[in-house]
Amino acid sequence: MKRSITLIILLFVGLYATAQNTETKKDSVVALDEVQLITIIKKKIETDMKMAVSVDEFLASSDQISFIKRGAYAWEPLLNNMSSERSSITIDGMHVFGACTDKMDPITSYVESNNLASIDIKSGQEGNMHGATVAGSIDLKRKSTPFNLSKTWSGAYQTGFELNNKQFFNLANASYSSNKFVADGSLAYRKAENYSDGNNDEVNHSQFTKFNASLGLAYKTSELSSVKVEAIYDQANDVGYPALPMDLWLSRALITSATYKHVFEEGLFRALDTKIYFNAIEHYMDDTTRPENLVHMDMPGWSTTYGLLSKANLKSNKISSEIQLNAYNNLSTAEMRMYPQDRSERTMFAYSWPGVTTTFAGLSINNAWEISDKSLLNFGGSLGINYNHSKYVEFNWIFHPGTPQEKTRLLPSLHAGYQLDINKFNFSVGGGYGHRAPSVSEGYGYYIYNSFDRYDYIGNPDLDNEISYEANASAGFSNDKLSIQAHVNYFYIENYIIGRILSLGSPMNYQSIGVKGYTSLDYSTLFNFSLNTSYTILDDLHWKGVLTYARGKDENENNLPFIRPLSYQTSLHYKYNKFNFQTSVNGDLEQIHYSPEYGEDETPSYTIWNLSADYTFRIKDYRTVAQVGAENILNEYYSTYADWGNIPRMGRNIFTSIKFNF
Amino acid sequence: MLFVATLCVVVTSCTLDKTDYESEISTVVTEYIEFDEVVSIIEGNYQIRINALNGTFYKGYNAIQLTITNTQTNESLNSSEVTFLPIMTNYNGNHTSGPHQYNLEYNIDDDYYAGYTVFTSETNDSQYWELYISFSDNGETYSVTQSINVEAQTNMNLNMTAFTGSDGEHYFIALVAPQKPKIAENELVAGIYKYNQPTGEAGIFPDPSQFSYSEVEDYTLLLDPRMPEPSMGNHSSPNNEDLTQQDDGLYYGVVNYTMTGNWTLNFRLQNSYGEIIKGTEVSTEFTPGIEGARSELHIDILF
Repeated sequence: MKRSITLIILLFVGLYATAQNTETKKDSVVALDEVQLITIIKKKIETDMKMAVSVDEFLASSDQISFIKRGAYAWEPLLNNMSSERSSITIDGMHVFGACTDKMDPITSYVESNNLASIDIKSGQEGNMHGATVAGSIDLKRKSTPFNLSKTWSGAYQTGFELNNKQFFNLANASYSSNKFVADGSLAYRKAENYSDGNNDEVNHSQFTKFNASLGLAYKTSELSSVKVEAIYDQANDVGYPALPMDLWLSRALITSATYKHVFEEGLFRALDTKIYFNAIEHYMDDTTRPENLVHMDMPGWSTTYGLLSKANLKSNKISSEIQLNAYNNLSTAEMRMYPQDRSERTMFAYSWPGVTTTFAGLSINNAWEISDKSLLNFGGSLGINYNHSKYVEFNWIFHPGTPQEKTRLLPSLHAGYQLDINKFNFSVGGGYGHRAPSVSEGYGYYIYNSFDRYDYIGNPDLDNEISYEANASAGFSNDKLSIQAHVNYFYIENYIIGRILSLGSPMNYQSIGVKGYTSLDYSTLFNFSLNTSYTILDDLHWKGVLTYARGKDENENNLPFIRPLSYQTSLHYKYNKFNFQTSVNGDLEQIHYSPEYGEDETPSYTIWNLSADYTFRIKDYRTVAQVGAENILNEYYSTYADWGNIPRMGRNIFTSIKFNF
Repeated sequence: MLFVATLCVVVTSCTLDKTDYESEISTVVTEYIEFDEVVSIIEGNYQIRINALNGTFYKGYNAIQLTITNTQTNESLNSSEVTFLPIMTNYNGNHTSGPHQYNLEYNIDDDYYAGYTVFTSETNDSQYWELYISFSDNGETYSVTQSINVEAQTNMNLNMTAFTGSDGEHYFIALVAPQKPKIAENELVAGIYKYNQPTGEAGIFPDPSQFSYSEVEDYTLLLDPRMPEPSMGNHSSPNNEDLTQQDDGLYYGVVNYTMTGNWTLNFRLQNSYGEIIKGTEVSTEFTPGIEGARSELHIDILF
């Protein structure tokens, strides 16, 4: 991922340099577009196997990401095997916070693959650009069509069907660009029924319906500046979470922003990019579909965020810098209302998030220093102020009598990395140090039921900052045919926040077996390793292999939960005329290092075999791709180490899709 | 910008409204802060006014404020010995009372005589309450009797219980505060009283010695609050504190209510020697689906 930032900077420099040779009038257009061009050269939102993927499936193709899955929808991304509160997950740098106390709605569930251009993943403190983090950052980059001298319309429409869960989807996007004005829009609709596992048994409550629309309008205010307003609207209805005791009735998100961008032709400052944003999420759980539940509950949640981010790109001689100011204010409120068995009796009400405000302001600086043609030093840091306020602090006083209503924290971060290219070899070493503040649930959560270990969780406003010390290194080799890249990182995390059984209090949720409070371990350690290999066997035959391994331990050498066991993926890609054939095998070994303390049990190994073929042709002038494939061809019955409550994964799934590009 | 602004307005109107916390905890509980006149009695040249919260006597603990005004001089009395005795007469003609402060205390700051009374039942067809008040002015003693109406307690947070302890004494526990609990740490205040068995024969009715009650001194009221609702599985809360007596004679402790709804305050009354006079220890087991078993000494509340 270091490469991406380098790439951005190099590209930035390169484009600027070439632009200088041409006449000024023209290069201003180029200069303004260049930031946007970067996203275009990146990976498209599709995996090797499948061209119509969900955002989750796309993220899953990264070896740094694993998932906690509570069903077929809205998987919680784990970066470097750390849960989502440890990473900074943003949309174009904008902070959006889910409104569900049970993590039914990670931010990635509020976008759709056809309104994204790429996903930028940075590991560890390198990901501090948008705010404090421990694990790194996942930035979902929206599609953004550059200004164009000639008026251009373009678009794509994709539809398809997945047999296993009868998922039918329609994805459409269109864009218009001219010299002065650009419009991007997308619409997406997915509807799926319950999926079946490898034993052909239907997994109840695994259906979902999702609608997503986005619109972006950009106007060039001068030769070197532009304004842009963007909005995403996402709505999910009737989503089942088979691993949880509740489903989703409705979630809605509106994510809006206005951006002003200015490019400078000369001087130290090269680009200035300022965005104000607002997003609101509402999330309503539903257990009326679960008559087996002893207690009927309403669990609505709301999350509203206002924010500002302002970014400046600087370049002087051999050092390019990026400075970013982030500020946001979030209000998260979640309620629970339990209904007594005699419905005429009084309902039982409490806040699970008692109106928690988080205000953050931080300044981040990242620099790249080209020491020579072969070596590059990246270094940077950030300093943030994090302020929390609990509106109904009396809820927090029940477990933490007298705890202050407000809490201010200072969150510093530092990182440095050195890259060296020697002929066909490349090496890098780096390190980082950073703090993060506890999340809303960790700090202020109130009887949040965790159906995995079956404990009610209580937040602790007095938790110390989590402090991460990390080291990373990579080595690689690549030539025309072969590429090997190995990457390791090691995190030593002080005050690691995790739930520990509280001797006081008794559960509130009837399924629960006790109460856990978020506490800080003295420390824990995490080690991640990945090996990526690709080999061109023939011009049209490519092989790729990925191997990952991770290990996480707490201060007592006990295992941390949700740490991926040794996993592998190997795939072959063959191109024949306008046909592409892909096949892949992936799997995890047995999870030996599980954590019974957190409700984990030993998960057996599994192996999945996938196959797909696509054909590209033209209908009139439109490039059209048709694809057919199958996942889990052998219909293996399995669940992974991170499947909530060991719910079985999808069995054999035949998928088809067709995409028209206009 | 207009585009963004419009969208903001559209979406900030949520599909379902957030709960208004203040009105949520006021759904079944009304808090009375104002003292209003309950009765006004004219006795010769004196007017006696009795104020209580909401201008009403309720079953349970009632703080009272009494003023006596000389209607001739329009001055209020401040150095009188004022006695206050509530008596209930049932359909058999039997007289009983309830814990009360017999000798009211003059409050200089607010110019009234302060006391309290615990009505052990409400007025109904078969029983009625009367107040026997006496005061003196200029060396003369006046006695008045006034029939009053005691209404049923609508706020379960001010419930009371009466019982006979293992020592043979007759006890009363009446909740005083909080009137309107919050989902929070609440200071729990209760009055604990016992009936003083008369040692002599009854004199002329109403003989105060036959209706004497006193505040129980230096006991401890052990507390274990739980939700009895079957689906709550005997849920309890942390960091509660047993009730101990403070200078004003009342017993103070801490109860944490983790959510609204029905709660049972399970008590055990412990005397100053550490002996349990009444009450049983309740199970701490979490038993979803089964109604929580109550202590034999308990008060149910609801908010």
